[in-house]
Amino acid sequence: MVVGDTLFPDSDRLEDWFPRETAAPASGLMMAGRRLGVVVGGSLSRGLDVKLDRETVIEDLAVGRYVVVRGSHKRFFCMITDITLDTTNPAIRSDPPDLSDPFLREIYAGTAAFGTIHVAPMLTIDEDEGEPRPVKTIPSHFMPVEIATAEDVDDVFGREDPTHFNIGAPLELEETQINLDLRRLVERSVGVFGKSGTGKSFLTRILLAGIVKNQVATNLIFDMHNDYGWAVKDEHGVQAKGLKQLFPDKVAIFTLDDEATRRRGAKADHIVRISYRDIQPEDLAMLKTTLDLSDSMIDAAYELQKKWRDEWIDKLINADPALMDALKEELSSSMASVQALQRRVRRFERFEFLRPEVVADSATEILNHIERGKSVVLEFGRYGNALEAYILVANYLTRRIHAMYVEKVEKALGDESLEPPQLLITIEEAHKFLDPLIARQTIFGTIARELRKYNVTLLIVDQRPSGIDEEVMSQIGTRVTALLDNERDIAAVLTGISGAGGLREVLARLDTRQQAIIIGHAVPMPVVVKTRTYDTEFYAAVTADGRPAGAVADTKIKTDADRARDRDSRRIR
Amino acid sequence: MNETTTQQPVIGSVLRASTMGFVCGTRSQDIGHPSFGAFVRTQHEPGSETEVIGLIYAISIDDDPLVRQLILANNMNTATTRDQRENRMVPVEISVVNIGYIQAGRVYHNLPPRPPLSLDPVQLCDDACIQQFTERFDFLRLVLNTSEVPTEELAAAALLHAASARPPEQRYDFLVAAGRQLAGLLAHDLPRLQHLLRLIKPA
Repeated sequence: MVVGDTLFPDSDRLEDWFPRETAAPASGLMMAGRRLGVVVGGSLSRGLDVKLDRETVIEDLAVGRYVVVRGSHKRFFCMITDITLDTTNPAIRSDPPDLSDPFLREIYAGTAAFGTIHVAPMLTIDEDEGEPRPVKTIPSHFMPVEIATAEDVDDVFGREDPTHFNIGAPLELEETQINLDLRRLVERSVGVFGKSGTGKSFLTRILLAGIVKNQVATNLIFDMHNDYGWAVKDEHGVQAKGLKQLFPDKVAIFTLDDEATRRRGAKADHIVRISYRDIQPEDLAMLKTTLDLSDSMIDAAYELQKKWRDEWIDKLINADPALMDALKEELSSSMASVQALQRRVRRFERFEFLRPEVVADSATEILNHIERGKSVVLEFGRYGNALEAYILVANYLTRRIHAMYVEKVEKALGDESLEPPQLLITIEEAHKFLDPLIARQTIFGTIARELRKYNVTLLIVDQRPSGIDEEVMSQIGTRVTALLDNERDIAAVLTGISGAGGLREVLARLDTRQQAIIIGHAVPMPVVVKTRTYDTEFYAAVTADGRPAGAVADTKIKTDADRARDRDSRRIR
Repeated sequence: MNETTTQQPVIGSVLRASTMGFVCGTRSQDIGHPSFGAFVRTQHEPGSETEVIGLIYAISIDDDPLVRQLILANNMNTATTRDQRENRMVPVEISVVNIGYIQAGRVYHNLPPRPPLSLDPVQLCDDACIQQFTERFDFLRLVLNTSEVPTEELAAAALLHAASARPPEQRYDFLVAAGRQLAGLLAHDLPRLQHLLRLIKPA
């Protein structure tokens, strides 16, 4: 053995055999632009097979990593979807060489036994045109495959500018960044998925911060767990800034539970109160599974509303046995249903934000903020743990705001200067709203389906995408997905995505932290990102060069030319 | 090339030859130098363009009538033995397989265009010549395809010779590179490959 051989040091010091991270030569080998191997086969439909060079350390590769095949006049952007071990002679499997010997290991590695990767080509850039296009062909034999450089990534995803927001780095390419096209992101509904503990709310907060900073849309956030408004503690107890702290002029905090909001050191701009009079039977229909309501109870609710008009809930709660007896004669519904409904509705009494008397209309107040370009975070405080409160409020407010939006858009008669600003509504635990059983009736189902016709889109945050109605799922333009391990959830996220087979492997192997795959409308090709860290550096980046608050209305509305440009064929899903 | 030619001892002269290889004859006391797997070269005349490069694959000592009688005789004395060895009438035969040639300073890993002629002097190659010739490994294919020769042992011996012709710090890398070439050539025949790699493995 040669003295000074770094791979096999002739030493009895442990450190020489297992060098510390900083001294490891392998990590330096995985630099951007480094050649990995050559294309040796494959097809457009199944993807390309790449034989790795001997020097490529197979353990340093990862599915989801982004590689570039340099053809004779085209660059092909591909994602690693599989990594295999191959041999020139299958017999070597039955009689493997003794690789404890470094000499034999050096010889066999890369010759008789070698690694191959399977890559899915996703986009090409013709050197003459410079625009990324969906792949319609593949590179010829023996073209070199390299790790993508920052320039390659920028050519595909666009450079950081007022509509492109740096969301993180591609897998293992720390020095490059993925710039998400925020306009495309908000013009269709967005889904943020991932099992619990994978950083969904941090991911969402980064997206929302980008949207607020670049003023591409106004947000209405139903903040179930008080994650977005003023401040949030992460799992290590470190406090992170909420949107209001980052953008005091562009974000307003509304709260259902003023006490809890003040306890957390924030000051609410508005305290939301909802009158019993505003609650419609259809709001109860949303709560069917949460409150365990039967169809006949909902029928009874409609009947009571017809009889008592706006006061139906108030009257039902306070109905004494005598009144109930009187009802028996008048209603066609069974009394058992009415009584059961009464017991359910009485639960509303413990929600302090629900008032029997007439109160100021919070929906209008929210809309006023939105029209001024201010994003609204609605904190639920202690009611965040009561799912029925969350669903009831979110559904009620969204129904009202959506109705006002529809009216305004229709009044504008296509004149975009009169249209209300693009609104992005963020809801958590989305499968409770978009369950296949109720999605067709609820307002969220309607918004998801009617797309951007009325300038309202959804950002749904959920850990069980399989629980979301398939039709709604198919309308979600951009899917940002952290780790999912349930087969049905993975299948649900990948519905309607071409080349889903390869992505499945990638999706199931994401890290549990700070990693997500972005698929769909906002990105030209699926990409795995290591998301930005939500820290002081991030705060500085999003607040430093922000335009002065107030200059909102004219920048965020799209022109026809913008839309036409956006529609071009840059996209594959 | 030519100035180093004179430094290496002549180990014999061509006895019979073909393009595939040749046999060189020598006296029995001259066989101290040549060894199995050594690189040899022969030139038809000093300064000619083409040098044939070969590998020694066999060294044989034939019998003659006298040695047969001596073996049957009793009480042979040392003088007789020495006399028989040094003055015998049958030459020691060194068999060489051709693995390439050098023409006008350029190395060809191919059979030579024409064989050496009888009585051409045969020399061992010096280190510089071996290094130049073994920069590439295409000759291994010729060696491995030779018939009537234990090819793995011959290839291994040749590679070890070529390694020792290099400075010590280059030997390991040279053998690894040679091993990789062999792994490609013998991918279809793993037992042969494994045997060969064991033979060239540095201690």
